[in-house]
Amino acid sequence: MTRIAACDCGRLRATCEGEPVRVSVCHCLECQKRTGSVFGVSARYPKEKVKAEGPSRQYTRIADSGFKVTFDFCPSCGTTVHWHRGREGWGPSDSEGLCVLGHAPIPAFPRASHGGRGTSYENAVFGRCSISQSRVMSTNSL
Amino acid sequence: MTIRLATCCCGRLRLTCEGEPIRVSVCHCHACQRRTGSVFGVAARYPKDKVTVEGEASEYVRIGDEGNEIHFRFCPGCGSTLCWEMPAYNDGIAVAVGCFADPGFTPPPSRSIYDASRRHGWVDITVPVERRG
Repeated sequence: MTRIAACDCGRLRATCEGEPVRVSVCHCLECQKRTGSVFGVSARYPKEKVKAEGPSRQYTRIADSGFKVTFDFCPSCGTTVHWHRGREGWGPSDSEGLCVLGHAPIPAFPRASHGGRGTSYENAVFGRCSISQSRVMSTNSL
Repeated sequence: MTIRLATCCCGRLRLTCEGEPIRVSVCHCHACQRRTGSVFGVAARYPKDKVTVEGEASEYVRIGDEGNEIHFRFCPGCGSTLCWEMPAYNDGIAVAVGCFADPGFTPPPSRSIYDASRRHGWVDITVPVERRG
């Protein structure tokens, strides 16, 4: 299956082949600020399965894990469409490839991360939104 | 009076919000999903005169489903959208709740928009909300 993730204005796109390696939600405060929502959702793909098109601007930060994470967002509408990570000094990306964000219906259940930001994973969003899947794992690592 | 600070990821764009929001909503529409990269957006609406914007912002305008312009302000350095307004309604300014970086933010949402048609199946809003669409 091929899926296309796009920014709000449509200029920045990522075409993704096949199924994601995994899907995660992250409740860290950086993901909350990046999204403006109360958690981020990402589908991780092998890098060679994702083709990005369109103009992008990059924002890089150091994650809690020590990874350098570089986000590509659309300079016209601000949407972050994909990101990659690498250990500081290890080069621009690691072997796990890209995360693609966004709207495409995703078949896989999310795996939680940064559950420690809330009282519990199931009570993640203000303690009032549930992620209705029992197999998720709560972890504090990316 | 409660004063809350909302910031983008890199800290260049900041909002200071005085008092309590008029309401908090979640929206599952596709545009909110794309804008956030998450599966729904969360907005706290404030009276416009209670919000002070500091820092450089880029503006993105799109036409909402009701046919009116929505003006979004995002940080050109990191992409975070902090707030948006609908000039036609002049009913305040919406602030992206995640930008408060406060998991204890209150009040909880009272509306869930596009709840039936666009909400991802693994997500539910478990507080009493008015569900639309």
